[in-house]
Amino acid sequence: MRPPILPISPRPSQYGIDPSLVKTRVCELPGMTSVTLRELFPDLPPVIFPSDEGISAVRRYTEQALSNIDMSKIKPEHKVNILSSHHGFTLLGGEPYAEMLRTIRDVIEEKTGCSNIRLRAGVGLRFRETEEYIRRYKLDEHFEGKARGVAPVDEGIPIETEIGTLYGIKRIYDADWIVHAHNSDVREVHFHRMVDRAVKPFGMSYARIETRSTYHQNLGPRAANFIARAIFDSPFVQDKFAFSCFLTVVPHGILGVDADSDLYSLNSRITEIGCRYYGKMMTLFGEIDKCVAALDFPCPVVYVFSAGVIYANFVGANTDLFDLEMPLPAYTWYTEAFYGRKGVPLLPEIPLLNPAVKMCVHNYAWTGYPSAFFSEHIPTVVVGQAQANLFNRDPQNLNYMQHAVISENAEAAMDFARKASGTDNVLIFDGAPGGINLSKPLADFLLEKAPAVNRRVEEELMPKWLRQRGVEVKTIA
Amino acid sequence: MKLVTLKPVVDIEKCKGCKTCVKVCPVLAMSMEEKLAVANLELCRGCGDCEQRCPEYAITMVVREEPVMAKVEMEGLDYQEIINLCRKARFHPEQVVCYCTATRADEVAAAIMRGAKTPDEISYMTGIRTGCKVECIQPILRILEAAGIEPKPSPGGWQWYGRTITAWEIPEEVKKKYANRGFYFDEDIDLLNRVINAPLQGKE
Repeated sequence: MRPPILPISPRPSQYGIDPSLVKTRVCELPGMTSVTLRELFPDLPPVIFPSDEGISAVRRYTEQALSNIDMSKIKPEHKVNILSSHHGFTLLGGEPYAEMLRTIRDVIEEKTGCSNIRLRAGVGLRFRETEEYIRRYKLDEHFEGKARGVAPVDEGIPIETEIGTLYGIKRIYDADWIVHAHNSDVREVHFHRMVDRAVKPFGMSYARIETRSTYHQNLGPRAANFIARAIFDSPFVQDKFAFSCFLTVVPHGILGVDADSDLYSLNSRITEIGCRYYGKMMTLFGEIDKCVAALDFPCPVVYVFSAGVIYANFVGANTDLFDLEMPLPAYTWYTEAFYGRKGVPLLPEIPLLNPAVKMCVHNYAWTGYPSAFFSEHIPTVVVGQAQANLFNRDPQNLNYMQHAVISENAEAAMDFARKASGTDNVLIFDGAPGGINLSKPLADFLLEKAPAVNRRVEEELMPKWLRQRGVEVKTIA
Repeated sequence: MKLVTLKPVVDIEKCKGCKTCVKVCPVLAMSMEEKLAVANLELCRGCGDCEQRCPEYAITMVVREEPVMAKVEMEGLDYQEIINLCRKARFHPEQVVCYCTATRADEVAAAIMRGAKTPDEISYMTGIRTGCKVECIQPILRILEAAGIEPKPSPGGWQWYGRTITAWEIPEEVKKKYANRGFYFDEDIDLLNRVINAPLQGKE
């Protein structure tokens, strides 16, 4: 049996328990093994990180991508805001994204003579999260004291769009030029449905609460991400937009760095990459008929991931999240909203959560995202009283522990989950780079199913997914 | 409905009187006294916005000695009126409009029928918008508007700025322009309409 892959380590954060309290990682338990993603899908392309070149590859590829960008409109006396988001710092330990941000700054200064370059780091629902990353990766030093986290409750600025007034965070736009520095990891497919993925931060981490509430409450599950396009296309934003620079991410690592002054061109490229590689992983996970999901990663419950697939998408893997003909994934906030007082959906056609997830063992995951819906509908065992206490103090999760039970340690929790669920299939969401940590029976199952999934995605699903999004079918080299 | 278990404690040695906490508090519980932040614990709903945005890290959230329940009772109200108000605002009465507190549209409507006229009063009465503080301002503003109430933002505050567009208001030319880009406007409207008119599962 292949040994498990070393997972991402617990991180000190106000949103998680002290890393010293994470006594055992689930992958360390007896019977756990790993598969590499290349074993599952041998046609996966080579990546620049992880690689023998280390983090310097990210700098080299960022410099190369930016060499083709015309920055002549940025003058030495101007102010530039490099816009970033929390999620990039959760990818492969965070250093690749941090290094891309540092490199963008250095290249802009070198090419334009402008040195008033500020880092603005947006967040999801954990308002201090990027402050923690700025300290962790010493970005404030690199940006000469001009790096700061911004939150959706900070002072806003109205933005006139073709669908009326929306609201951005004032500090995002308080410069002559903005540079959109993001990544192509698909993450919340249940929300953006891989429509305008590259544009999403303009309606989310760069946006005020009014805009984000519009996205999640006013428009509907497949129209929501239009908010991002409306803001990005506004004259206000277009007048400030300089260019975009993205880490191109695939489930097994960093594929490269892409930069473009035309965000929609970049969007088409990452849409194809996202549908192809993440689509295969999600479709493969959708084949799983029963398992215990083990959460073991330094981020909120929904965002822990395995092979690039977040837990929030695994609980919806009984539906094709990329298929826009399907209105509602089994999990999205619209779906959650449409559960009535009896705890069942208001309409019979609303899909229930993935029945393959028999139990969830929450060994290590953060607060800072409303997660009670999961523990209410999936039997959940939380490891350790300290973690339970932390959730009970989180204003977003006051009901989470009402539905979960506590186990003293990971061994007992997993033992209980396997006995109670009657399955030895264990899928671990610990961000293992390049592979999946899991139990042997599930490894065998996935290896058997992968070739057929590969063919189905390439031949049947990819053409449909891209056609639905108006993206021309090509092959990314 | 929310059980309020936390309260803020201000470290007056660290507070520099910047008023950020006053500007972000969704229930207007923070004020300044002698240029220092002060929390009104009767109003506070324990959301931690002040603690999360204080640039001086001068505020800590601690456990209350006695938790407080924020909840609007339906008893004594005409539930048909609540249904009508929710549906006028294009919500199913049992639709969850706050994912952190699981507050449903009917409780927001009930708060309005019991006299709430602003988002901060609704948050105080129901606990809505005191979890993540991000996702539920639009339902509040829509239900207020359906009740004929047009609240004004708190002067100088950053609590909220205004109601924005809904699915039903997207201009036809915008729908046509982006019809081939993966936005399913009319199909989503159809889904939302079916949800709004779905049968009730049972009122409390």
